[in-house]
Amino acid sequence: MDDGDGNVTGDRGRLRGEGRRLVASLESDTTTAALPAQSRRTHTPAPSLNDRTALIVIIFFFLLLLLPKPTTRIANRLLATTTDAEEEKAAHPAQRSFLSSALRVNQAGELAATLIYTAQTPPVVAREPHLRPLMRHMYEQEAGHLRTFEALVARHRVRPTALYPLWSALAAGLGWTTGVMSREAAMACTEAVETEIGGHYNGQIRTLLEMVAGWEAEGYDVGDEFRDLIATLRRIRDEELEHLDHAIEHDAKKAQPHWLLTGIIRAGCRGAIWVSERV
Amino acid sequence: MPAPTLYSSAAGAATARRVLLRPLRRTLLAGLPTAAPPLQSSANTTARSLTISSTVRPTAATTTQQRPLQPRRRPQPLPQTHSPTPQPALLTQPAARRRAYHSHDHPPPPGPFTPAEQALLSAAYARVPQHGFTAEALALGARDAGLLDISPAVLPDGGVFGLIRWHLYTQRTALAGKVEEIFGSSGGGGRDGGDGGEALGKGQAPLTTVADKVEALAWARLQANEAIVGHWQEALAIMAQPSYVPASLKELALLADEILYLAGDVSVDPSWYTKRASLSAIYAAAELFQTTDQSPGFRETRAFLRRRLDEAAQAGATVRSVGEWLIFNAGAAVNVLRSKGVRI
Repeated sequence: MDDGDGNVTGDRGRLRGEGRRLVASLESDTTTAALPAQSRRTHTPAPSLNDRTALIVIIFFFLLLLLPKPTTRIANRLLATTTDAEEEKAAHPAQRSFLSSALRVNQAGELAATLIYTAQTPPVVAREPHLRPLMRHMYEQEAGHLRTFEALVARHRVRPTALYPLWSALAAGLGWTTGVMSREAAMACTEAVETEIGGHYNGQIRTLLEMVAGWEAEGYDVGDEFRDLIATLRRIRDEELEHLDHAIEHDAKKAQPHWLLTGIIRAGCRGAIWVSERV
Repeated sequence: MPAPTLYSSAAGAATARRVLLRPLRRTLLAGLPTAAPPLQSSANTTARSLTISSTVRPTAATTTQQRPLQPRRRPQPLPQTHSPTPQPALLTQPAARRRAYHSHDHPPPPGPFTPAEQALLSAAYARVPQHGFTAEALALGARDAGLLDISPAVLPDGGVFGLIRWHLYTQRTALAGKVEEIFGSSGGGGRDGGDGGEALGKGQAPLTTVADKVEALAWARLQANEAIVGHWQEALAIMAQPSYVPASLKELALLADEILYLAGDVSVDPSWYTKRASLSAIYAAAELFQTTDQSPGFRETRAFLRRRLDEAAQAGATVRSVGEWLIFNAGAAVNVLRSKGVRI
């Protein structure tokens, strides 16, 4: 369905509370990427001829960096290996590496999620059998996400994460530990992981929308590949935020100590995301 | 049409700026006062300007005198006689970035060779069967392409490794075009063909399993070496030089990835890495064997390839079985304890 801004969104009626707030942040956020901070060398008290020359060279290059876009285009032309026509249609290498690291980290994340649920379910359900349908529903959705991302990784010839066995072990350990602690702890673990994952997918969707908007502004027809990818990520993000809502409904906030548990798990998720994007 | 497109968005511009600044940063760092580079040809100096080296080179003065140990100081730099020029794409385009994210809708990124390099190297490649991977082949090829004989000097180190890399690149990318011919009516002859040296069209049943397709593709790639196999030992020696080892290993890894992709392998768990590593090792061994193989149609090489692939398959099956046994028994033990009431 369309919201007022003309964005096509999935069915958000079932998102409540935090999930809805996180989704709203995507649509209204207009921050743009800032230039990397420039650092300048401090002037030594008595510079020799060589230091002064170096200083002039450095300042020259920094001025070169601050020049507007046409300079970067000129530099790119010097290094260009294709004709204009080919280059216009081919995705920029930085965008390709973003796409490959995005798919890699998503596959790793869904793998970890399925293993967390697999390890959490037996101890939690042994104490509270009425939670079995919920745990099974969440597990099956995560397994579907994992199949989706594995298919995308294979189709686009992306390298999967090299730390696959490590993430498997850590995820199973995390799921089992929180499952054995208590039901509230298990739900708090789910809350923490899904909060991080929701924000992570939001960022990816935002970057992809910017890329597509950039291409369309230049007048090129963006194919189904990227539109489908954005739609898939939206659907998966919505399902993850639905899990977040379920976890909070089932007393995730009552886990003691909530701040420590969620703090550690969220920090661990961020670290794992950072590493998986690269390794 | 105006230029590259993809800087109209702020995020794209920021990433593009970061991407493009890396070569500038490197040349900048190289331009700072560091060790004096020894006198070399201009091609090598421009190549060297991209590396950050700060080793002090021994001069006649230091080696003949017995100096006491002193803390290292920066010697005076030589005056800059030229500014860093844009490098040919062989050096500027890092291989890793070229390989990320294969798109089915968008055209692939440009290859590692500029159009000028492609013209020169393709003409020189036609001379390789007769002259080998040498400067002679490059000079004669330049002449064939209508360029000056001295043209290969624009390539780093005279272009000999570039010629080898051209061979590896073109033969690897040609595999995709030959897939139907290799798998379909022919192909590899399955597992029971005795004479492997015949041409590809043998009229056998089309290949179905990934293992058979991998063998057929590896064999097709080995067959493509036929024209230059007499010079391949020399080429391997050049590839083994320390400065060329990373690029050579990268090409080998790309070939293994290409073969497994074309064979239809879609696994994305740790076996992705083990399959590529083992296929790279097997292919390298088979290629080395091929350089001394005198049998008609490289029949012995084909048998060698088949034996190595069988060994790898057996080893893989063994490891998988042991792993399955361990996981099953661990799970069973945990479940037995749970059934006894232990809260795990």
